[in-house]
Amino acid sequence: MKHQEFLLDLWTNFPDILDNYQEHVKDQFVVTIPRDALPSVAKHAVNQLGGRLVISVATDMRQKTNDFRVSYIISFDEHKKFLVLQSHVPTDDLRVPSITPEVPAANWTEREAFDLLGVTPVGHPDQRRLVLSDDFPNGIHPLRKEFTYNQRFPFEPQNAPPHMEAPEGTTVIPLGPFYPVLEEPACFRLFMDGEKVVGSDYRGFYNHRAIEKLGDSELNYNQIPFVAQQICGICGQVHSCGYCQAVEDAVGIEVPMRAKYIRSLLLELERIHSHLLWVGLAGHIIGFDTILMQVWRIREPVMWLMERITGNRKHYSSNLIGGVRFDIDESAAEDIRRVLDKVEEELKAVADAVVIDTTLMARLKGVGILTEENARALGTVGPTARGSNVAIDSRVDHPYAAYKELGTQIQVQDGCDSWARTLVRVLELFESIRLVRKTLDDMPGGPVMADIDHSLPYGKIGLCSVEAARGEAHHYILSGDENRPYRWRVRAPTYQNLQAVGCMIEGLQLADVPISIGSFDPCFSCTERVETLDVNTGKVRIYTQEELEKLCRNKE
Amino acid sequence: MFKAKFKEAVICLGAGRVTLPYPFEPVQVPAKFRGKIKFDARKCIGCGGCANVCPPRCIVIEDMGEVSRIMFHLDRCIQCARCFEVCPEDAIWPTDAFETATPDKADLKSEMTLWMATCQRCGRCFEYDNVIDKFASKRWRGRGPGDENKHGSFPTKPPLDFVMPTSLVKESEESL
Amino acid sequence: MISDLCKKMFPKSLWLYHTNCGSCNGCDIEVIDVLTPYYDVERFGMKLVGSPRHADALVVAGPVSRQVAPALRRLYEATPNPKVVIAVGACSVGGNIWFDTYNVLGGVDTVIPVSMYIPGCPPRPEAIVYGAALALGLVPKKVAAQKEEHLPEGFDLEAYLKGWEETPIVYPGRI
Repeated sequence: MKHQEFLLDLWTNFPDILDNYQEHVKDQFVVTIPRDALPSVAKHAVNQLGGRLVISVATDMRQKTNDFRVSYIISFDEHKKFLVLQSHVPTDDLRVPSITPEVPAANWTEREAFDLLGVTPVGHPDQRRLVLSDDFPNGIHPLRKEFTYNQRFPFEPQNAPPHMEAPEGTTVIPLGPFYPVLEEPACFRLFMDGEKVVGSDYRGFYNHRAIEKLGDSELNYNQIPFVAQQICGICGQVHSCGYCQAVEDAVGIEVPMRAKYIRSLLLELERIHSHLLWVGLAGHIIGFDTILMQVWRIREPVMWLMERITGNRKHYSSNLIGGVRFDIDESAAEDIRRVLDKVEEELKAVADAVVIDTTLMARLKGVGILTEENARALGTVGPTARGSNVAIDSRVDHPYAAYKELGTQIQVQDGCDSWARTLVRVLELFESIRLVRKTLDDMPGGPVMADIDHSLPYGKIGLCSVEAARGEAHHYILSGDENRPYRWRVRAPTYQNLQAVGCMIEGLQLADVPISIGSFDPCFSCTERVETLDVNTGKVRIYTQEELEKLCRNKE
Repeated sequence: MFKAKFKEAVICLGAGRVTLPYPFEPVQVPAKFRGKIKFDARKCIGCGGCANVCPPRCIVIEDMGEVSRIMFHLDRCIQCARCFEVCPEDAIWPTDAFETATPDKADLKSEMTLWMATCQRCGRCFEYDNVIDKFASKRWRGRGPGDENKHGSFPTKPPLDFVMPTSLVKESEESL
Repeated sequence: MISDLCKKMFPKSLWLYHTNCGSCNGCDIEVIDVLTPYYDVERFGMKLVGSPRHADALVVAGPVSRQVAPALRRLYEATPNPKVVIAVGACSVGGNIWFDTYNVLGGVDTVIPVSMYIPGCPPRPEAIVYGAALALGLVPKKVAAQKEEHLPEGFDLEAYLKGWEETPIVYPGRI
């Protein structure tokens, strides 16, 4: 569908509300509408036109246009287009009608706009603080331009948001915030009726490090790729590429083809090591340590390879605006092929053994079901969605770097449970190995860095979706003066997928909760140390790792 | 099921013993590895290029008229080697040192003191026009362009003393 | 001092409790990597335990944010004495890029006392093994601060700095 037909459809259904529209870059277009029309237009775009809400961005535009601006980014995956619904919010009346009742995927992003900027979503079902710490003073909204990034605010622990009410007759089990194995701290409160989970509440954002504030007030355009890569240790290249590509698209910098191929190469190598990591961890969660040790043994040569070609095992520090910092020469290409041949051979042996293992299947099949309807409504992305028959993949829907030339095959399963997600990841591993080989075969010659001879102008919008191992990571840039962006918004894939955990773990037994949470590969994996509180008798019992593992193993 | 377990056993046994002999034998790092950085004071010209591009703002330059002191806070260095990339004189470079563990954080704070040359036209060092601008800029270089007069900039205000919330203290005392 | 304490108290091996207080997971994966077959720290008797009450050493990665600070302090107090705290990665040593933002208190030593710092982003698994061996006194320390000066012959730095503090715009011996 051409974009004129899109706008024609919107104009026909909402004749007098579109103030103006602009098309920034090829398939990304921006329409400005009055704020009261946001719920109906968003609902029409998501339900009738088949869109998917990606993220919403609230910006403090008082320095330029004396008001605030709220933008909702909607992706049309089949037609490969982005639509940005923008509206202006006057400074003295910072309220926006919430679109969450119509589009449930917007739940967290509207709470975050309220928390960090003070834009209240009217009609939102859950208006608690989301991101800032529990002891942050009320009324301080750090992303506003008058706050410097390094101010210190006093500790006020009485401002903690209230906990969600547990349903009648249930026990509350808190999981978190510290687990002994590899995760970010996060706190799930499970409401249990006997052994079954009937509901949950989640308190996260223990590692809010003020990255967006650093990006728009302290760091330059070329310092931000290094901050972006440290958002996540396993998807560092993804965020760094996403930011650079968003800026390059916004201001129209033409990246050389060879640099695009090198970016795709590093992205696929990162996907290989991330999926291998996950397979090992999933085995560890269900108590099968053999898989952990063997798969990580297979994965280690990939890490050594990355150190040889980029200089570091993770955080490759390879991207700058306009290209990459180093080149891949013939000996490096030989090295990559050799390592991948060995990895593929050993991976086939492991996959053969694992796929017929009935103990594994008994633990993973039928556990953590996410129906296709829920997956679409909550906007889940990545293998979590692809395991529930939703065929979306940013490499195909919004091609970036060299993916249009490479072509990717989307791996979809329709089991809707943890086993389906496992299969999706294993198949993607083989697909990634094929893509790396194709990249090396087709790489063109030429420079690896574009020549930028002018300073970047203010006011350009850039969007970029990059497919991480966990799903689609999205970056939104509004370019600014002073050699830094005016607003930079990052949405990691786990942000959307975590909102689906609630419906994934309902009805499960306690022993199945860790692997369900681990199966969508969040940037934290599982819960290991569980503290149970029996509200009737007030007794506290601590399950240690060994006891919980025994509970998991003795389940059947 | 036994077929699967047999295959897994074959994989484990077939791998053999793969453990590296570190720390009993030294290890060779690859040529491109970016370890702890090292500088050479005789080559440095005090231009501040490294300070401008360092993402964690590890490199800070204090201008004191004829003398410049350059401080490297290597405890927060992310080893990206941007300083090496932009230095016009190759005065700073990443080495292959990765065994940088220490019980004392002062081992990670390096320092360089340089004597700065004077301008051939006016005979003086680089200096702001009046004392107000000078104190407003606090004599520090190593910020992005346009940041010199921003309030709240370097040196960072010290963090508030972290005080444990009293309710949690009581709870943990009772449980112990 | 730490190595003497370790030699006295831990004649056999160290049990580690690993925690992430807000990091990007890079350092956490390197800590888990240290257990995998290529580096295999379990041959020295070190293992990860599931509860801080069983632990001799706390291995902490990540900058301390305001939200996680009370939990980290409780974790430290729950670990019985004698204990050793090892801070892994640039985030926990010095706060990394966000050391001075509004939601981050800084490195781990703003909340709990640290015995061993292992910088790097992320540190290699060999560097973590080296740090643990240094804590036990098995290897010598290799890093030292580099302090260099490039001043003319006979230049009196202390006098110059003293004069600079008193009257900031001073050019001794100049126009």
